[in-house]
Amino acid sequence: MTRARPAPDPLVRVGPVNAVLRSGMALAGLAIIAVLIGVALFAPLLAPYDPTVPSGPSLASPSAAHLLGTSEIGADVLSGLIWGTRESLLVAVPAAALAVTVGAVVGTGAGMLGGRAGQVTARVLDGFLALPMLPLIILLAAFAGQSPPVLAVIVALALWAPTARILRAQTLTLRQRGFLAVARGLGGGRGYLMRRHLVPALAPVIVAAFVNATALAFMLHASLAFLGIGDPTGVAWGMIINRALEQSGIYTGGGLTWLVLPAGTAIAVAVLGFSLLGVGLESATNPRWRRET
Amino acid sequence: MTTGSAEQLDTERVDAGAGDSREPDASRRRQEWWVPVVTYSVTLFALVTLNFLLPRLMPGDPIDSLFASGSPNYVYDEQTRAALAAYYGLDQPLLSQYGTYLQGLLTGDLGYSIAGNEPVGALIAGQLPWTLLLMGTATALSTAVGILAGVHGGWRRGRPVDRNMLVAFIFLLTMPAFLLAVLAVFVFAVTLGWVPLSGAQTPFASFGPVATVADISYHLLMPAIVLAIGLSSYQYLLTRAGVVGELGADYLVLGRAKGLTERRLKYRYGARNALLPVVSQAAMQLGTAVTGAVLVERVFAYPGIGNTMVEAIPSLDYPVVQGCFLMFTVLVLSANLVADLLYRWLDPRTTA
Repeated sequence: MTRARPAPDPLVRVGPVNAVLRSGMALAGLAIIAVLIGVALFAPLLAPYDPTVPSGPSLASPSAAHLLGTSEIGADVLSGLIWGTRESLLVAVPAAALAVTVGAVVGTGAGMLGGRAGQVTARVLDGFLALPMLPLIILLAAFAGQSPPVLAVIVALALWAPTARILRAQTLTLRQRGFLAVARGLGGGRGYLMRRHLVPALAPVIVAAFVNATALAFMLHASLAFLGIGDPTGVAWGMIINRALEQSGIYTGGGLTWLVLPAGTAIAVAVLGFSLLGVGLESATNPRWRRET
Repeated sequence: MTTGSAEQLDTERVDAGAGDSREPDASRRRQEWWVPVVTYSVTLFALVTLNFLLPRLMPGDPIDSLFASGSPNYVYDEQTRAALAAYYGLDQPLLSQYGTYLQGLLTGDLGYSIAGNEPVGALIAGQLPWTLLLMGTATALSTAVGILAGVHGGWRRGRPVDRNMLVAFIFLLTMPAFLLAVLAVFVFAVTLGWVPLSGAQTPFASFGPVATVADISYHLLMPAIVLAIGLSSYQYLLTRAGVVGELGADYLVLGRAKGLTERRLKYRYGARNALLPVVSQAAMQLGTAVTGAVLVERVFAYPGIGNTMVEAIPSLDYPVVQGCFLMFTVLVLSANLVADLLYRWLDPRTTA
């Protein structure tokens, strides 16, 4: 009898798949992400050259052989961008996954606990959310190292708190709804409630949080690379810009147009793609939003 | 740009449409005054401790990390190393090292920069004013623009002007700050020559007081605008959501029935009620503003602590990295505390 389906709830009824199909913004975001993943997967086939070794003269402008010109060491810029997609995704996605996992556990935990422990967790989150994230990441990267896996963990450390906060708020609202009270009254234990009622109701929120966290992870990773934090010989998009700006006369020599602009556009488009999907998912899964905007 | 957090913002937007829980975080309103004091003090203490432990958790001792081999600060001489170890009290137990560290912090001792050959405290003291100037100007600018645009857009929800502004601000939110900054340098400094390329002052120039202020403002203009663009999106979205939440409220209907002008209703009534969450968010955003400031300072070679922190990394000048981090943390946490207390004071419901 405790197996009765929960009352129809918009959060549950509209799964993430339907939500995406209904939202134009989400579809546009999804298309961008599909292209990113495709480029990352097929980088070895798509890239005309090895992006880490010289294949032409240094800082050559775009030509038929090098569609986006060459870098300061004479490496093909287009190939760098293509491989950079993989490098950026391989930091941003694991970072977001880790952040959302930790955030979801802490957030739902704090929401379920309630009482004093829940309050204390909420205050810890307040403190953490207030921190200046980029300086914290720089500090940790300075000491812990700058290889891609280490960077992913550090970026995740900066991103888990917002997710935890959202999930705590969602869990608190869910707790006040009828179906959870009924299930609890019928003898459902804490683990049962979580598995059977809470997780299905929270899943769309978690998916949206993951997409948003990925957008932020992309931005953070690009910003770090731009500041020169990361593999100095790698092809992360931000690192391409970092190295380009170190060339004297980059602003006047025209190198900006093929060294900086394409990488910059790639970063902006990637962040936009994940943001669009995130906003689209949220507005489709959250009934309040539908009323509001 | 701005890494702060889209999520953080999104919860506010969700909350803003949610009837009686219209405040960003309703539980915050009911807190005793000492709760934020304790929260931020404990946070600060935890980070000071992290700052103390980080070099000691690394393989080797702090001297090794202080003078990592391959860095320009590397100390080859064993005798000097021993003297330094004694100077830093590394022969003492960890707890007493911690005590010495805290004592030093209280007297403003942030360590010594080998690369810069000066105390970190003095280094930061010279650069903090520039960071404060940049962030202060940008915050003021973004608040003015964001609130005005937000009230305007929210009041005309769904009309073309609102749709267009919404798309434009969401797009700006996804633009990394450093990208905007690089583009601004290219267009306005290099191509058009309207503003200087970098720095905060004309080097080696001595002007009268008026000309000095003009020179500093001239250098400040572009970095402040670029930083403000990213921040104004947050203010705009929050204000807009707040105003939208007020639309159709009884007091607006009554005001309209009484024949109040639309202008008065919009600014004196609707906007006023919608702004409370914006105040409390202004401080939470400061963490985001710091992220933007570090990137913008870097692009414009603005002599603030963000730029210093980044420049200290290739030379592995750890005390400088740590000092800048602590400074940013103190700055952001104290601003949050002030905002939390201010919020209680501004909102009559909390003191009732």
